[in-house]
Amino acid sequence: MSSATLEIKLSRPSRIYCPSEPLDGKIVVKSASSISHRGVRLAVNGSVNMQVRGGSAGLIESIVGAVKPIVIVNRIIEVRPSGRIASGTTEIPFSVTLKQSGNDNHDRFYETFHGADINIQYLLTADVTRGYLHKSLYTTMEFILETDKAELLDQPASPEMVIFYITQDTQRHPLLPELKSGGFRVTGKLSIQCALSDPISGELIVETSAVPIHSIDIHILRIESVLFGDRIVTETSLVQTTQIADGDVSRHLMLPIYVILPRLLTCPTTLAGPFSIEFKVAIVISFQSELSKMQAKSDPRTPRLWMAMETLPLELVRTR
Amino acid sequence: MEFRPRNYKQEKESHALHRTRVDDHPLCTPSTSHRQVVGEHHTENFFDPLRGPNTNVGEAFHNLPDEERTSGGFCTERDNQHTRDWNSFKRLLMQRFPISKMISISSISDGIMKSNKVDEISSTSSRLEELDDPQKSAKEGNASITRQEYVFRLNDFKEKIVQAWHSEDRVTALKFTIKVARLLMDTSVRQFYPTLFVLATDVMDMLGDMVWERIKQKAEFTVDGNKLCFLAENFDANGVCVDAKETCNNWFYKVGSIEDLLPRVYLELAILPCWRFLLIQPADCLHRLVKMIRGLADPLSSAYCCLYMVHRARKLLSRDTAYLITCMNDMNILLMDALSLKRDVSKTCVEKRRLLISLIEPTIEYIVHHIFEDTPKEQLANALVNLGIGGKGDNKVVSCLSIVAHCYIKELPADMVRSKSKEIINLIECCNDCSLDKSLNYRLLGFRLSETTSPQDMVDVVDHVIQVVLLWGKLDEYLRVMDAFLDLVLQNQMGNHILNVLEGIAMQARDKAFTEEELGSLQSILVKFVSHFEDLEELFALNHYLEILDMMYGRPRSIVNMHILDRAIRKGLWHDPHIIQLLFGISKSLIDEIDQTSMMDYDYQQPARLITRFVSMVDYGSDVERHLAFLVECRGAFGCINELKEALVHSSNSLAIQGLKHSNKQFSFIMSCIAYSEVTIPSISSPMKQSNLYIETAEVALLGGLVSHAEGLTESAVSCLQSLVVNGLPGIADVEGILSSFQKLCSLLVMVPWNKSNIGPSLNYAPKSLFVFTDSQSKLIPRTTTRLFSAIILLSAALSQEILPYNANNFGIPGNDQLFYGDSSYSQELASISQLAVQKLVDVIQWEHSSDARGIMALEACNCIASSFRTSPETSIICVKLLETAKLCLGAHDKYVKSTTKFLETCSLTSPDAEQEGI
Repeated sequence: MSSATLEIKLSRPSRIYCPSEPLDGKIVVKSASSISHRGVRLAVNGSVNMQVRGGSAGLIESIVGAVKPIVIVNRIIEVRPSGRIASGTTEIPFSVTLKQSGNDNHDRFYETFHGADINIQYLLTADVTRGYLHKSLYTTMEFILETDKAELLDQPASPEMVIFYITQDTQRHPLLPELKSGGFRVTGKLSIQCALSDPISGELIVETSAVPIHSIDIHILRIESVLFGDRIVTETSLVQTTQIADGDVSRHLMLPIYVILPRLLTCPTTLAGPFSIEFKVAIVISFQSELSKMQAKSDPRTPRLWMAMETLPLELVRTR
Repeated sequence: MEFRPRNYKQEKESHALHRTRVDDHPLCTPSTSHRQVVGEHHTENFFDPLRGPNTNVGEAFHNLPDEERTSGGFCTERDNQHTRDWNSFKRLLMQRFPISKMISISSISDGIMKSNKVDEISSTSSRLEELDDPQKSAKEGNASITRQEYVFRLNDFKEKIVQAWHSEDRVTALKFTIKVARLLMDTSVRQFYPTLFVLATDVMDMLGDMVWERIKQKAEFTVDGNKLCFLAENFDANGVCVDAKETCNNWFYKVGSIEDLLPRVYLELAILPCWRFLLIQPADCLHRLVKMIRGLADPLSSAYCCLYMVHRARKLLSRDTAYLITCMNDMNILLMDALSLKRDVSKTCVEKRRLLISLIEPTIEYIVHHIFEDTPKEQLANALVNLGIGGKGDNKVVSCLSIVAHCYIKELPADMVRSKSKEIINLIECCNDCSLDKSLNYRLLGFRLSETTSPQDMVDVVDHVIQVVLLWGKLDEYLRVMDAFLDLVLQNQMGNHILNVLEGIAMQARDKAFTEEELGSLQSILVKFVSHFEDLEELFALNHYLEILDMMYGRPRSIVNMHILDRAIRKGLWHDPHIIQLLFGISKSLIDEIDQTSMMDYDYQQPARLITRFVSMVDYGSDVERHLAFLVECRGAFGCINELKEALVHSSNSLAIQGLKHSNKQFSFIMSCIAYSEVTIPSISSPMKQSNLYIETAEVALLGGLVSHAEGLTESAVSCLQSLVVNGLPGIADVEGILSSFQKLCSLLVMVPWNKSNIGPSLNYAPKSLFVFTDSQSKLIPRTTTRLFSAIILLSAALSQEILPYNANNFGIPGNDQLFYGDSSYSQELASISQLAVQKLVDVIQWEHSSDARGIMALEACNCIASSFRTSPETSIICVKLLETAKLCLGAHDKYVKSTTKFLETCSLTSPDAEQEGI
């Protein structure tokens, strides 16, 4: 039984790197006895994995199939030629730069993203190959890729704010009769172009509402589209819900909208050929109603009789 | 045995200490130089009890500053100060809202229920019920849990969090903390909410501090433990390394992703201090957070969330209070919504509102306190404007809740209350809600205004307030407010207003019985008058004052009465008959009230003392007859006060003496004084006191020439003593008392002339009866018996002298020396009594068991006999025998034995033959 362990340690605890930056780190081998090997290798792997599920594309419900992944980067470096690793702890440093100066335009380094249907992931794999009699040592670690600072735009001069109104008349789904008759009006503004490092900001004012409000929530939605054959399959899913009002808040009082974007689950809005990742923000007002108590748990995106909502597109950008 | 002849005059002169004049009164505080002189001259262990502690006091003063320096808080950090404040605030909060044993919680609090696995069965069964009747369970979605259980589970959470943290599982620690924070969403626990808040925020504080420490560690040290830098107390984000910032950011990301608003805000507040690692001006976050709290529609959770914000914000070392002003204004709006009449007005709802207000009040108080404490002085005015106090336009509609206004008035610096008094009145006027009665705000304003004595003129304010309050036409409110403003009015000598206040009360109180609360306010008001007017005449001259006092009843009235009397006895003697009559009336009503209610000793003592004191301070001057009439009246009115009757006897006796001094003719007046005393004394309960008073009265009677009265009185005195002994074993104090009364009586009897009867001179109540008394009690109190017999012997010896040691000649009463000296039957009588006494004396000593006591008794007796009788074989034998007894008991070297031996020697020097005879 070999007691050797392998570990990758990156220079940054956050594991966030840009393509043009050197990815520094070390492979740490801990072993009770010395190990002879046929080389220590490090593989850098980046790919876009997509899948298509049933759902909005009703036709292909049965074909839950993986789409061929797009390889962003795939490189193997020999960090150490075959030889022997002494017993104890051995650190083998490495440094890789993803973006090679020769072919800039060839690969596009999408940012790391973990979605429902689309996964953009970068992995480092270290392995120590040994003889027939021995199992090779092997470890994997994910690192996070962010777009190069040099390529980025400066912060948008003025964050684009849109003004929204939510009233009984702006709703496209049926409402409770008391909501229809009593009426309500919620206004506000929201930044719809937003830097990933900043919160989504805005404000909201409940001007009138005859029916007491139960809750106001901000949903961040992602829209993942995948080119599947000659069709584009689009799936919308919920990323994060943030409540901004709990209960029947005072009228005419400005409530701030402040939503921190979750890492990994969001990335810059991406429109690539074979796939696209877009975001939306939905402001959902739920009113107090006996009906809502009966069905407490439900998908917040489903329009309900006691809810009013407004969905706005959200462009996420990486800024300097 | 023959009596020793004495020359008292000569003896006095020879024994008197040499007298020298001094410049200072011995009891007045001595100048240091003088004291030193004294010290040099008398180096023996001289201890003056009145002077002793002086040196210690000086030392104590020297020590004081040192102690203050060590305990005083200059070196302590501001942070520590805040922690202490917060801890005491939390304690108060928990004490203020005692909680019932069972806490009913709604389904939101299931975090606390889920941790319990025992309840699983019941929860599944309740779920089944839920399916049956969903509406029912929706209504009754409350569960109950005991208080201990709740607290226990919270502590359990706390332990789990600490455990998780230390096992590097910080995400779990955070998750548990979020669970705890979620508990605060359930405001249905009402009364328990403050306690819950304290417990939950403890947990959150703990997590916040752990996060802070972790990031600080990261900023100061590398992973390997090498020192990176040192963050000073007031560091800023510039000095923090990227790694620490990254970790810090992660925490804010984690917290930011919490779905529910309330736990998200609480958790961000818990780690709020960590913004200092990221931002140059971390306090800016507060402006966002305070607005985020607006999203909490429940006033209770919102208010407590704000409270937590204030607490955590202190850690940002910022003195910015703008966010607090926003916070207060928001809270105003929120509470106004919550209290507005649009929601139902049923009785339970009113109750609920009241509870809500009382639950929220401490939070408002705390926040307002910090606004006024942290805002720099020069910005305070501006802050007030922002809070809606005193804007530019007077027409501006200020919207403010009474309870909030109350806190403003309470917490504002006193000088600001003065300078902004008009604006504050406006503010109070604009409050029209049920959270607090308007009059309470006026009342508080009154108290606050009287705190400082700035020269600013408050007349307008007082005028205005009086008018406004009068317009309400409610007596209780009027009294409540006036009580507070009275300090101000009295302080500033606003004469007109004093009258206005009283008139207002009188006007509104007419034809109306006071309620308990009104009486309380009235009491406070009238007492304030008493303590303000040093001169009672001035007080009684105030229009309506006495009228109002008359309208009062019960205990409050008694308290006012007592204050008046207390004032009365401090002033000195009372001469004015009108005032005396008023005070008498007050005393009378005081005692009547006590009679009606209770006779508890405690209630009784103070008034009794006051009345007694007052009665003894009445002085009609030369109009002694009127004074006596007053005393008679007093006895009628206050017959139940023992203490007083004693004072009455003293007064009447001194009246008699006064009458005696003024003119000898008023024999009948003295008679009536004595008669008054004689009648009064028997009603006094303590025989000891009775006998003393009898003796005193006897003295007076004797001086007044009423010899037969005097005799009768001494007789009564003895019978009182007798009754003391008869009624069982007297206590030690009584024994002492009996002894001293007896001795006093004996010394009085020296002056009482004997009767000339047919059979010769005889005293109606002669030493004989004293002898009988002594003999009768000797078994009960043997130790004093020797002294009693000694007194009889000494009395007889004194009476046998050619010139009595003192007499009452000045008052025209002949002494026994003039009457009977040389009369054989007279001296025979004396001799026989004293002989008997000597015999008894010797016997009594033999009965004593304790040898120490026996020795001392023997010596006392020996001294007495030696000084009373001429040296003779008979006396010598007795004395020597007594001395032997004493030597046996006390030893030959005892000081007393020695001095007695010496004394015997000086006595027997005159007749050396006696000694020879003895041999």
